[in-house]
Amino acid sequence: MATKRKTAKRSKSAKRSPSLKAFARRAVSIAINERNTAKQRVAALAAAPLAAFENDKDLAAVLNILRNKDEPISVRLGALESLQAASFSVDTFAPYRGDYLATLRKIVDDPDPELRQRVLGLLMREHDGSAQEKLLEGLKNPGKALVPPEKALQLLSYDVHAEAYSVARDIIKKPPNDDARREALRLLAADPSSAPLFEKLLRDKNELREIRQISASALNALKPDRLKEHAREILLDKSDYDDIKATSLTALEQFGDDAALGKDKALLKSVDRLSTGQATAKYKQSAKRFLSKFTK
Amino acid sequence: MDVELQVNNSISPDARFISWAPSPCSVRVTNPTGASSPTVSVRIAGVSAAGGGAIVFRTGAAGTFSNDLTLAVPVNGTSVPFFTAGRFGQPSVNNGDVRIEARMGTTLVGSVPVMVRIRKNANVLKPAERNRLVAAFAQLNNQGLGRFADFRDMHTAAGDLEAHGGPGFLPWHRAYLLDLERELQAIDPSVALPYWRFDQAAPNLFTLDFMGVSDRLGTVRFSNTNPFQFWKTDGVQGINRRPLNGWNPNTQPGPSVRTEAQTLALGTQFSAFRSMQGNPHGTAHTRWGGSISSIPTAVRDPLFFLLHCNVDRLWAKWQRQNGRFNPAQANSYDSNPGNRIGHRLPDTMWPWNQITGGQRPPTAPGGTLAMSPCTNAPGPQPQVQSTLDYKGSVSATSRMGFDYDDVQF
Repeated sequence: MATKRKTAKRSKSAKRSPSLKAFARRAVSIAINERNTAKQRVAALAAAPLAAFENDKDLAAVLNILRNKDEPISVRLGALESLQAASFSVDTFAPYRGDYLATLRKIVDDPDPELRQRVLGLLMREHDGSAQEKLLEGLKNPGKALVPPEKALQLLSYDVHAEAYSVARDIIKKPPNDDARREALRLLAADPSSAPLFEKLLRDKNELREIRQISASALNALKPDRLKEHAREILLDKSDYDDIKATSLTALEQFGDDAALGKDKALLKSVDRLSTGQATAKYKQSAKRFLSKFTK
Repeated sequence: MDVELQVNNSISPDARFISWAPSPCSVRVTNPTGASSPTVSVRIAGVSAAGGGAIVFRTGAAGTFSNDLTLAVPVNGTSVPFFTAGRFGQPSVNNGDVRIEARMGTTLVGSVPVMVRIRKNANVLKPAERNRLVAAFAQLNNQGLGRFADFRDMHTAAGDLEAHGGPGFLPWHRAYLLDLERELQAIDPSVALPYWRFDQAAPNLFTLDFMGVSDRLGTVRFSNTNPFQFWKTDGVQGINRRPLNGWNPNTQPGPSVRTEAQTLALGTQFSAFRSMQGNPHGTAHTRWGGSISSIPTAVRDPLFFLLHCNVDRLWAKWQRQNGRFNPAQANSYDSNPGNRIGHRLPDTMWPWNQITGGQRPPTAPGGTLAMSPCTNAPGPQPQVQSTLDYKGSVSATSRMGFDYDDVQF
């Protein structure tokens, strides 16, 4: 009965032409046939991701491939990609969406790390509570982690909650690696109470330059006026690095008050220094573009 | 003797942007000093800067274009209409890099700078074009607090069925891109949305200075001079985008993505062509991990707009190939009384119609569609049918003011 109901839901306009239907049938039959090579099956799955799901039987076959741990991983990933691409055709995919998400939840702890990571990403982008819990649990208890901490932090950014901030702060205190520290900081860029941390990192010349760049970006959103003050000071500081000066200049150029900047002779002088000094051609060009706004 | 030149029926510099579709112009005498007869002969021609755009002219809404026109212009101030268009294959790079000049004999009596503003392949943009686009995007986003947030809110699960739930997929996204492009142009009028040809390698697109470079984790890195380093959406910093299965978008086309030729060959009826919503459209989205690979988060990544610009270009190319601009012709659209609301030709489209509740989503973010100083189409509350004749091929008043570098008028 369920099959009949789902099929009946499909609108007339979503029906495919006979040739596309035949193409779809062929694609699914190639994909499910284990005697074909993995490459042939993946190609078949990719060929007609929307048209392939002409009926529940076809969808069930592709979902089975995704679920089946005995299938080659390339074919399972191909099935996932095919379903994902089909999900962009909302009306056609609507009757199958529930089964699709349920299958994703079932394979979230799959032995294959790439599949696990992709599935967790898909679920987090759907704001799936169970995926979020598993990621947080893994960060608190690495023995239960489904993905590396840096990936977990990145995925949590799709649906940030206060509990994630707390975990991110702990990671920053004792980071397992540089990437995890970076992703924890990116997560905290949405946390207003982390603004003082970003101010400190931005001005620390011993800090990794990437972290200083992230800090500037975070401050731009959390405390834009403070970023502008720091950016000015960085540009005036002859001992600071050219790349951080370039980030500072970009912030001022894009988000600063042109009227105030045009009157700031000390700043313009320091930018002029950047435009003619030892900086790379790109930074010099950026400085010249900035100056051109105020020397017309 | 002086004449006034109007472009897009306006004296405003904001209206001096043209595409391949003919723009209505006019010339009139504003200072008749020196005239000795009721009319004067005025030669209209385009003068291009080196590497700049090129323009052509014709006297009426139909007919062939030429490099110049000679018009009899009354000295009493009456306007004489003519049309100008970009010469196909020679778009502008910078605002005002081509001028319309009016001469009496050899004397210059009027001149206005114009831009042949065309949507181009992002991979071939000049650095200046790229920098202007990125800066406009960053300012529209403005620390996550700017107008871009409305575009995020339009393309979420709440509006799924409006944007993706039927044959209106292509019309809806055409209006969506146009709305965004006009907002970018309000910041910098020289910007046109470029497209990402997902069926080709794009070595100049996925760079630190443009759409960024993905690291192994999928965190996108930008150069210190790139305004995208300050990108923020939904309160979250940066962009997550990871090419899957070892794909290198700098050197390879999107794996399994239908090529342009395959897409254009899907069929001559819209009902067949619209299966491109799955492949190449859906497939291009899902060649990546990260936000662009799921509908609710795809717009977090500005690459979304370049991807969809290519989807729209493919539709435009298919329309031209098959003559499918007229909504009154059955094969131009998959019109069916059974289509859900928002997907039938006369329907207005959410959210620009500002209708909420019932079969429509509960909110309508972003207001009506942005207006253009160059054209009144498609109006603040576009219907599905008003998106088809985007070039004004069927009715000149339908011209929306955008064109693609490889789709002729």
